[in-house]
Amino acid sequence: MTIQTTLARRYLAGRKLRTFLTTLAIVFGVLVIFGMNTLLPALTRAFQSNVLAAAGQVDATITLKTGDTFDTAVVERVAGVEGVRLVSGLLNRTINLPADYLDGDPTLPDPASAVALVGIDVPQATSMHSYAVNDGRFLAANDADVAVISRSFAELIGVGVGDTLSLPTPSGETALTIVGLLPPRAQLGSEEVLVTLNQAQTMLEVPGRINTVEANFDVVDGDERAAIEQAILAELGESFQLGGLSANSELATNLGVAAAIFNLLGVLALLMGGFIIFNTFRTVVAERRRDIGMLRALGASRRTITGTFLMEGLIQGVIGTALGLLAGYGLGLLGVSLIGPLLGSMMNLDLGSPVVSPALVIGSIAIGVGVTLLAGLMPAMSASRVTPLEALRPVVGTVSMRRLAGIGFWAGVVLIALAVVALLTRHIAVIGLGAVAFTIGLILAAPALVTPVARFFSGLLATIFARSGTAQLAEGNLTRQPSRAAITASTMLIGMAILIMVASIISSVTVGFTQVMRRSLGSDYIFVPPSIAAWGSNVGSGAELAGSLRAVDGVEVVSSLRFAPSQINGSAISLLGIDPATYPQVSGLTFSEGDESAYDALAAGRGAILNAVLAASTGATVGDAIELLTPNGPQTYTVAGIGGDFLNAKIPTVYISQANIAADFNRTEDVLLQANLGEGADVAAAEAGMKDALRAYPQFRLISGQEYIEENLAIFDAAFYGLYAMVIFLAVPSLIAMVNTLAIGVIERTREIGMLRAVGATHGQVRQIVLAESLILAALGTVFGVVAGLYLGYMAVEALKFAGFPMVYIFPTTGVVIALVAGIVFGVLAAIIPARQVSRLQIVQALRYE
Amino acid sequence: MSLISAVNLTKVYGSGDTAVRALDNVSFDVEPGEFVAVMGPSGCGKSTLLHLLGGLDRPTSGTVTIDGNDLTNLSDARLTELRRHKIGFIFQFFNLIPVLNAVENAALPITLDGVRQAEAKEKATDWLRKVGLRERLDHRPDQLSGGQQQRVAVARALVADPALILADEPTGNLDTRAGEEIAALLRQVANEWGRSVVVVTHDPRIAAHADRIVFLKDGSIVDQTVLEPANGRNAEMVVEKMHAFGD
Repeated sequence: MTIQTTLARRYLAGRKLRTFLTTLAIVFGVLVIFGMNTLLPALTRAFQSNVLAAAGQVDATITLKTGDTFDTAVVERVAGVEGVRLVSGLLNRTINLPADYLDGDPTLPDPASAVALVGIDVPQATSMHSYAVNDGRFLAANDADVAVISRSFAELIGVGVGDTLSLPTPSGETALTIVGLLPPRAQLGSEEVLVTLNQAQTMLEVPGRINTVEANFDVVDGDERAAIEQAILAELGESFQLGGLSANSELATNLGVAAAIFNLLGVLALLMGGFIIFNTFRTVVAERRRDIGMLRALGASRRTITGTFLMEGLIQGVIGTALGLLAGYGLGLLGVSLIGPLLGSMMNLDLGSPVVSPALVIGSIAIGVGVTLLAGLMPAMSASRVTPLEALRPVVGTVSMRRLAGIGFWAGVVLIALAVVALLTRHIAVIGLGAVAFTIGLILAAPALVTPVARFFSGLLATIFARSGTAQLAEGNLTRQPSRAAITASTMLIGMAILIMVASIISSVTVGFTQVMRRSLGSDYIFVPPSIAAWGSNVGSGAELAGSLRAVDGVEVVSSLRFAPSQINGSAISLLGIDPATYPQVSGLTFSEGDESAYDALAAGRGAILNAVLAASTGATVGDAIELLTPNGPQTYTVAGIGGDFLNAKIPTVYISQANIAADFNRTEDVLLQANLGEGADVAAAEAGMKDALRAYPQFRLISGQEYIEENLAIFDAAFYGLYAMVIFLAVPSLIAMVNTLAIGVIERTREIGMLRAVGATHGQVRQIVLAESLILAALGTVFGVVAGLYLGYMAVEALKFAGFPMVYIFPTTGVVIALVAGIVFGVLAAIIPARQVSRLQIVQALRYE
Repeated sequence: MSLISAVNLTKVYGSGDTAVRALDNVSFDVEPGEFVAVMGPSGCGKSTLLHLLGGLDRPTSGTVTIDGNDLTNLSDARLTELRRHKIGFIFQFFNLIPVLNAVENAALPITLDGVRQAEAKEKATDWLRKVGLRERLDHRPDQLSGGQQQRVAVARALVADPALILADEPTGNLDTRAGEEIAALLRQVANEWGRSVVVVTHDPRIAAHADRIVFLKDGSIVDQTVLEPANGRNAEMVVEKMHAFGD
């Protein structure tokens, strides 16, 4: 063991509390990064294996890129390709089930929230797969209203052979008689309900159409298979793709976003950890100046000194990272145990265990240890510059960072100025950079601002405590080492800035979205499908439902949304068909470019309205031509306006007329309906009439517009509480930082405190000094944090506005109040341990302390 | 040839109006095995002289040569190495590393030099016994008395077999009896183990053990006195001289 290691180990062990607290900061950062990254891949893996399972056992799965249906004739064209041995056409569609649909009991968890309806051409399918029916019989080619399901699903919903299973369909609810049970399903994913192709086409109102062709090849050689795949694509054209349905791609995107957010949180937590370590090490260097000087006098080289400090950092980094990895894995396990059962019952997905990849472990270790070493580097370098003469000075010197602080201050001012300029450019990327510049600038400039701000707050505290002296002493202690106070406050600054930023976004989102919501959900009644915005897997209704609703006494107007999947420039969009005449009467889009006259353009020809998210990402404006991918190839539409509704605000969406969505995309299914009553209508009778009409369509839920708005606001609230909880979680390291700085302050001033006690200060008074110091520190962090957060929040809202989200900047009053309260609470909490430490000091020992 | 040869040493702190001339044109030699005490009133420049001799600080002008090496031309790294091999330091406040025990502290210079731990500890233990510390070898500094701590410091100064021992007020923090013991120990260092010893001190009883006393005043050498070891009146004579030079 080298002398560096011995010294590092002994010094660390010699100040256990401080070592513990600094190490804790690292543990925390690694925990967040590692834990979340073991959980998220577990989720992704579960969904991926679901998709893979769906695609399994066949050589090729051919679908339209949009996932839409196509003519059965495609099967023959695939079969005609050289090298293809077997083909089978299917119509496969996920049907989202409304809550309590299968069990009818709101108190029990639903056995399934979705099933896959699979229509198979029986001769084709049986030639390709073996269906080992172990109860009853398999489907026959000319079967009607019968189905085969797995034994596991049958047990789950409590049915057997001969029983019926009803499913919501666009043509009304259809009852299927179960004729056979397949072995329990080994694959993950939604349970399948197998029916004949004809049956599925009738139920889904797509006669003569399928959406998947499965093919098996003659050969097993990789190159030859690739050649056959190419031949199939050449035969079918660019609208088609090979591979499974990418139904879960939206989910994958969401998981990606979640991973990014958690990584950001983890990095911020580690950044705070870095600040804490930096701060601690700087203090340690100051305290140990004489030891360092002596070592230098004895012939220790600068490298040896730097090495000792870096070794201390390394030991802490390694221990902290190791504990962080363990705790993170625990967090992953906890997450799996919480989310796992939910997924199991809802989607038949097996979440398994947290995923620990070597890359993640290595990455976490690199980050955890790297941040620690980096934070320790500067103090270690400054330690190596201590001259041997320090050993001979009777009084321990203090580390002077004044010169550095001066440079830092001006660099900070420049960065803040740059950030303000960045805001004026109205360019998202530049604004984002500006946000980073602003935070760094504030942290750099903070030391120079510590003295005036601390003075102000100590004045405030002096009036509160009404005991002259303690607050001033506390202020003096802080302003004596402004850069250390600033660094401690910086960790709090980051936490508070995030809080305020999130609060700004939340309040701005709420107001912006509420405006759009009141407009687009302003109808008297809404018929809501099980899943909003995931239109593709909702089973809608044929034109009959709208017709029968219109026939209800008192109903004046009914309008609907129809859905088709499509793509623009290769990226998926949501395509909605509206009736240009009736839609504005029950609902309405909120336009940011163009106006109501856009509806006329939709009725007159191939006109389209883009929502703001899509307009921002494609850069399209009114009058531009856009190409929408239809099942029959690309089709050109003209942009008539930029506007959107509430439900689709976050998803890239194009609105066209229902006439066009029928002509170009073969879609006539209503996925959401809205209705208004006439003047003086009998509300009770009309509601009863509508419920009656809805009887055959359990997939829709009837709700009044007002109630639905309130429901959505409640969801907003829930999401935002979650966000706030996460932010508070993030604030923990800043609490550690404060405890740490205060504790160090007490150790450093032991002699001073002994003197105070000797001249007659009571336990209470010295405790009060610590408390006052803590409160002033907290105030510093909070004030800077609120300022930074307001700026960052404004930037974020502006950036989101440019990205097309309907938002109005709202000052986050609640957030600021929360931040102030949290600041005071933290100030008090952080003082507890150091204050106890102070009052335990023996006067004589304290005076002798060196 | 002298072990140490200082020629025309001048050290000025600060500049312009606030400049302080701590040492002014001091020339001074130390022979191998010689025990020299440097005395003088506070602020006379005796600590500065010690720092310059030990390569802890650089002179404004003049040269210091130790065992043929001119310190003034050495880089920081070379100077560090020279300190490690040629010079042992003893400080007023002992300056032991609080987290290392007695043996580890004494072994520090050779540990820093890369000697294997077992060997370094063996050597350190050997020296600790020679300087009179036979027990408490695995105790940390805060568990030792002041005299014991200074013995550890002396062992530490000797462990690398340096030619020169520099001590800055080695008895300043000790009671009379412990001070006497340390002074006798330093005498032993010169006589028995053949090191040159330079001690900066206020204490006439320590100085009385020296071969030669150098009196400094206002940065210059004002007197040099060679002592006869057998003379029982040495201490009284030193006190007289101190008064004569205004201390």
